[in-house]
Amino acid sequence: MVKIRIDDRLLEAAEGSTVLKAALAAGMDIPHFCFHPAFEPEGSCRMCLVEIEGAPKLELACSTRVKDGMNVLTSSPKVMEARKEVLEFLLAEHPLDCPICDKAGECRLQDYYERYGRFDARFREPKEKRDKIVPIGRRLLLDRERCILCTRCVRFLREVTGAGELGVFERGARTEIGLYEDGRIDNAYSGNLAEICPVGAITDTDFRFKTRTWFLERGASICPHCGRGCNIDIDFRLTTEQAVAERRIFRVRARENAAVNGHWICDIGRYGHPYWTENRSRFVLMNKDAKTTRLSWDKALIILSEKIKGLCLRGKGGRLGLVLDSFLSNEELYLIGRIFREAVDLGNFWFADPKPQEADRLLLTAERSPNLRGARELGFESRPPDLKEIVKRIEVLLVIGSGLREAFAVGDVRKALDRVPAKFLFAAHTGPGDDAYDFLLPAALIAEKPGSLTNTLGLVQEFQPVWRPPGEARPEWEVLGDLARELGSGEAWTDLTSIREAMAREYPFFKKSHE
Amino acid sequence: MSHGFAPAVLDEVSAIADRYPRREAALLPVLRVLQKISGVLGRAEEELAAELLGLEPVRVREVVTFYSLFKQKPAGRHIIRVCINLSCSMAGAERSLAGLQTKLGIGPGETTPDGRFTLLTVECLGNCDQAPCLMVDDDDHGRVQEEQLDEILGRYP
Amino acid sequence: MIRERPELLDLTEHLFELDVYRSRGGYDTARKALGMSPDAVLAEVRDADLKGRGGAGFPAGVKWGFISRDDGGPVYLCVNADEGEPGTFKDRWLMTHDPHLLLEGIIITAYAVGAHDGFIYVRGEYEAAALRLERAIDEARSAGFLGEGIFGTEFGLEVMVHRGAGAYICGEETALLESLEGKRGDPRLKPPFPASVGLFRCPTVINNVETVSNVPRILRDGAEAFRKLGRPGDGGTRLFSVSGAVVKPGLYEVPVGVPLKDLIFHLAGGLPPGRTLKAVIPGGLSAPVLLAEEIDLPLDCDSLFRAGSMIGSGAVIVIDDGMSMLDVLGIMTRFYAHESCGQCTPCRVGTSWLHKTVVRLASGNGNMEDIDEIARVASAIKGRTLCPLGDSAALAVLAIVTKFRTEFGSRIEECRARNRSW
Repeated sequence: MVKIRIDDRLLEAAEGSTVLKAALAAGMDIPHFCFHPAFEPEGSCRMCLVEIEGAPKLELACSTRVKDGMNVLTSSPKVMEARKEVLEFLLAEHPLDCPICDKAGECRLQDYYERYGRFDARFREPKEKRDKIVPIGRRLLLDRERCILCTRCVRFLREVTGAGELGVFERGARTEIGLYEDGRIDNAYSGNLAEICPVGAITDTDFRFKTRTWFLERGASICPHCGRGCNIDIDFRLTTEQAVAERRIFRVRARENAAVNGHWICDIGRYGHPYWTENRSRFVLMNKDAKTTRLSWDKALIILSEKIKGLCLRGKGGRLGLVLDSFLSNEELYLIGRIFREAVDLGNFWFADPKPQEADRLLLTAERSPNLRGARELGFESRPPDLKEIVKRIEVLLVIGSGLREAFAVGDVRKALDRVPAKFLFAAHTGPGDDAYDFLLPAALIAEKPGSLTNTLGLVQEFQPVWRPPGEARPEWEVLGDLARELGSGEAWTDLTSIREAMAREYPFFKKSHE
Repeated sequence: MSHGFAPAVLDEVSAIADRYPRREAALLPVLRVLQKISGVLGRAEEELAAELLGLEPVRVREVVTFYSLFKQKPAGRHIIRVCINLSCSMAGAERSLAGLQTKLGIGPGETTPDGRFTLLTVECLGNCDQAPCLMVDDDDHGRVQEEQLDEILGRYP
Repeated sequence: MIRERPELLDLTEHLFELDVYRSRGGYDTARKALGMSPDAVLAEVRDADLKGRGGAGFPAGVKWGFISRDDGGPVYLCVNADEGEPGTFKDRWLMTHDPHLLLEGIIITAYAVGAHDGFIYVRGEYEAAALRLERAIDEARSAGFLGEGIFGTEFGLEVMVHRGAGAYICGEETALLESLEGKRGDPRLKPPFPASVGLFRCPTVINNVETVSNVPRILRDGAEAFRKLGRPGDGGTRLFSVSGAVVKPGLYEVPVGVPLKDLIFHLAGGLPPGRTLKAVIPGGLSAPVLLAEEIDLPLDCDSLFRAGSMIGSGAVIVIDDGMSMLDVLGIMTRFYAHESCGQCTPCRVGTSWLHKTVVRLASGNGNMEDIDEIARVASAIKGRTLCPLGDSAALAVLAIVTKFRTEFGSRIEECRARNRSW
């Protein structure tokens, strides 16, 4: 470690680190465009010039290595002047697009101008005219007038995803980013490009023109679409129930986590936000005699617990079946184990998880659910559901999650369910065939409840609710707690802490994680 | 894939690539050869170079568009490059240029309708003691006077 | 060509042919050098105070000493024959007329730094020079001066000509490396320097043609003789490419330190009848302009640096009263805007901004405030760029607008009058 001074702060920095990295690690910002922590320093934007005692010229913070005793000034008059001038150059050839540019409100050019610029434009010459709506990928548009040639996009495609689709053509003021002929960026990480573009040059059509960034609220969560557990930020706007048609979630972004997803998320996670907004189950419903009526949670849980108690009284605990999936949290799976393993035969647990697909060499895992590892650590064997078996053995079926619907044809599920005396669906989404169930219970999703998930590498990650579940939907762990009480369980599972303590006592794996 | 080029050409560019410690380093000389043959560096030339040297075509295009001597648009059989930098300007480069424009009926950046000449203005050619100078293809012409233009042009069919 | 003292320039006919070159003692010095230790060769060149002749003026021997020779991988030698600095034509002459001298210098240099592969990066426009070099390489190889076991020693060397394709920036050493690797000529961040991370990330020495061509005579006559020809710290003779408003434009070899005035009036024949001297650019377009009253300066690195200019590539461009400095500014800004690689913000936008303003001035739509603006933009480029091209543009432009401010006043008025008359 070396000791350096940046302005009035004395810092310790790792040997071989750079001034900028040391500053960022200490929570100090030195403005920059082309630098990105995932890549080697580029040094072309020139925004991070700082004054270093003893050096004749201003030096780049992004590429200057720290030396013991170094004294760095980031706000001296010389530095402020340099920043103004670099900004002036950038803005000279930049279109006045703020009123129509998606990046407004989170644009580095705007932010730095606000903080370090505040000068009147003095460029009187004709600006370079370039193409403004160039499709470069599935959901990506390039605006060449806005591009400041930081080359983050070019480097991302060369160093992270590997195919290097974008190139830098021409030279001087004619320089521009482009593809080869009618090539397109068609990889599973393309959405990161709009995120790493420091200005509005690369925009995402999924987000384009839909809202202004300053209207968005942001909440941290975990992506549920595979076993990686990428950390995400969800940008949303709360709507009233009446304005159901208005988009609630506008964007999912990567949240940096060096141990899980680094700086990126894949497009499945990024563009998978309809998961939270489309086809949500909102009400507790009963289907009887071809009629659908609403009822209260209390009523529904009483009926369910009666059915289960009925089986146990007749010594037919083995007739209770649960179809689960590994979208359930660690705490929920643990509760299910506690409540039902005592009552039922282990053989009556099925996991209707999505079929495993190919993992890529980056983030996407073969398993396309977020808690398969958690389920395994909690002693569950992920047996896929067998409709014939269900029909043969099960009298009371509780399906948690949408997995069963996804796994079989609607007609086959309906045929099977028709021969099961009592069937309950506790899921967050509605879909065809739901009318075959006696009771529909709406569930909350991740981001609407607290809990934890275990990713494919065995890392337990906690998450907090970002907004309330829609309608009458409730978190599974809460409902399971209520159900346990109805079933006469001695324990009271009213908060996650007690569930986690119990989990840690019974499973050493979770003892470590929750310490 | 031959991309439409004769085996002799493929052999020549392959031999160039073999001489370098890394094949991709041969890109500039390979493009030079291909441009001499085709007169222009279009998709076929770019893709051949890319395949031969193990590069993505986009990387080849980066190079084609960066360097002034590489041409993407079809050009005449002969390229005239008139230097308009300082010493040549002082020696009357404008006169040579105007003379050529009149004789050929085209302006800088244009090609004669019969496809014979493309006229370009360029920066210093490194022939300043022979100012005003110009190049036609790979030939240097120095101390160019207006009276000599016809003779010079005549050498290039 | 007239020579003042025939040390480097040798006007023997057909010198590019191997037997002619050998008849004048050619390759004997390389044989002698290969009998010394590489360190001894390096020490000789270092003691000779040979400064780089490409433009940066860095002492060659010191640069060679930075090479990490023992990290196991190859060391490369690149000869910078990109010669793009406007006004410069010395390397063209050397390669066309005396290619074997360059090759002999390459052999000695490569031996000193431990390189077994040499690349001569020749600008794309120099067809004749490249062909002469390639022919000379073939001759040298046939004679056993290149290839395995040169002069019966363990030392082997292959040399290749690599043609550029029209980009002034490739004269900058790291851009040259990028171009040699088959990419855009975008300069690299320094550090690391080519001596540790160079061609294909291996230690690399890059030297100018004239620099390397001086090496044989340093080994032949000794460091002291070379040093004595010039000034302290700046040894030998220099080739000056003289062009512009002179009676005898051409290549002149003078000892380092000869006054600029002598070069122009004594050697190059002075200005044509009826013309007076207005300005001199002493070291290529990137060297800040000197006024007529400044030409007593000795032509050595330090003196020119202290006068606010530089010796650069040794290209002396003489400007007479018939040339408008606004036109000179137009050519200058057009040149830098055209040649900027576009990587870094200040140069990419700044050089284009400067040129656009000058174009507007020349079309009659500007005033003196624009001159102030030009100076301001140039100052904003200075010291902020990734490579020296930005600084060159800035300093060259600043010198002109500062020293010829009065003339700009009247030129701008002329342009406005022309515009109004439409």
